[in-house]
Amino acid sequence: MLGKCFSVICIISVIFAIVTKNISSLSNAVVDGASRAVELSLSLLGVMCLWSGLMELLRSAGVVKKIAQILRPILRLAFPHAFKTGIGAEEITMNISANMLGIGNAATPLAIAAMKAMREGQIEDANVVNRESVEDVDLDVATDDMITLAVLNSSSLDLLPTTIIALRRAAGSADPYSIIVPVWICSAAGSVLAVLLCRFFAVLFRQKKRRHDSGGRHGYTRRVDSVKSNGGLSENMNKTRAGAP
Amino acid sequence: MSGISASVIPIIMFSVALIILSSNKPHFDAFLVGAAEGAKTCAKLLPSLCALLVAIEMLFASGAIDVIEEYLSDFTEVVGIPSGMLPLILTRPVSGAASAATFSELLKEYGADSYTGLCASILMGSSDTVIYILSVYFSAAGVKRTRYAFAAAFIVMLFSVFFSAFLCRLFFGFA
Repeated sequence: MLGKCFSVICIISVIFAIVTKNISSLSNAVVDGASRAVELSLSLLGVMCLWSGLMELLRSAGVVKKIAQILRPILRLAFPHAFKTGIGAEEITMNISANMLGIGNAATPLAIAAMKAMREGQIEDANVVNRESVEDVDLDVATDDMITLAVLNSSSLDLLPTTIIALRRAAGSADPYSIIVPVWICSAAGSVLAVLLCRFFAVLFRQKKRRHDSGGRHGYTRRVDSVKSNGGLSENMNKTRAGAP
Repeated sequence: MSGISASVIPIIMFSVALIILSSNKPHFDAFLVGAAEGAKTCAKLLPSLCALLVAIEMLFASGAIDVIEEYLSDFTEVVGIPSGMLPLILTRPVSGAASAATFSELLKEYGADSYTGLCASILMGSSDTVIYILSVYFSAAGVKRTRYAFAAAFIVMLFSVFFSAFLCRLFFGFA
């Protein structure tokens, strides 16, 4: 993807430079760009060090779990299926709270664990359904909760955009922090829209197999026990299990 | 409002200091582990940032951006988005390194506190690499058909573009 991106931009630039006779400034730009990359990553290096360190500290102090507790009732509305069955619910809450603190390194594995757990639940569900009806269930299809999680993650949840602040400071902004509150509002609105849109689409494009749901749901509660928890999540699993039907 | 924005970092630093002092756990060691991780992340960013910053710098130097902007300025003026944001809107969904490169180039070109610079900052902070994230997540789950995922994610992204321009006018008083 990056290679294509790079090539397309390069080809467009060279063609335009020839047309507009900007060849020499284009050559300068190549050299400048390479040295600017070093400048940029140097100005980001310190901030990224500091921030990852602080966030790791907050994580070890249990702040991520605190946020997860606060978020759980809200996320219940966004992921009705996952929270009803308990499958992936813990990973989802931890993923969202890690994302809010900007701990990308921790958030992505959690999201992938949640996706995998939901996937296993989906396969289990299909087995139960198939036992009761002959109709095949399409297993290549993402479930509503999977899509909501992916879309929510693809809209930013970051509470403090440190990289952006660092880049603004490097660019000589008089007040690099001024964007924090607007970023919060924009992120929050984007996340709310993401969830609402996903719920709306879920109803709009309801899957056929949903017809069997009322009959074949018992398989889920058994699954909960075998969901692999990630890291230190196991003590929290009891809460989720209690919430399951 | 600017008071809140300015006090976020002091509040965090103060609470972190309290956390370190208030418990006997080796919280500062956790900081060091995390900081080393951050350094690694940044080092990993350099190669792709190098390639993409060269590409973006070429794009600006070749005059292609000026031509595109000239064509689209009527349109962007009507919908209220600064025309300089266009390269960022195009690269943001694809890659983090590409959008960081475009973003810093925009700040250099227009100024960090200009309308374009502030809009771009808000958009950078409130959007993410849609295509990358969706493909990583769904391939991890082993799902082939993603149904409405891309449609929903791009609608959210488009909303962020317009909303960031709106917030920029609201907060910083650009007409």
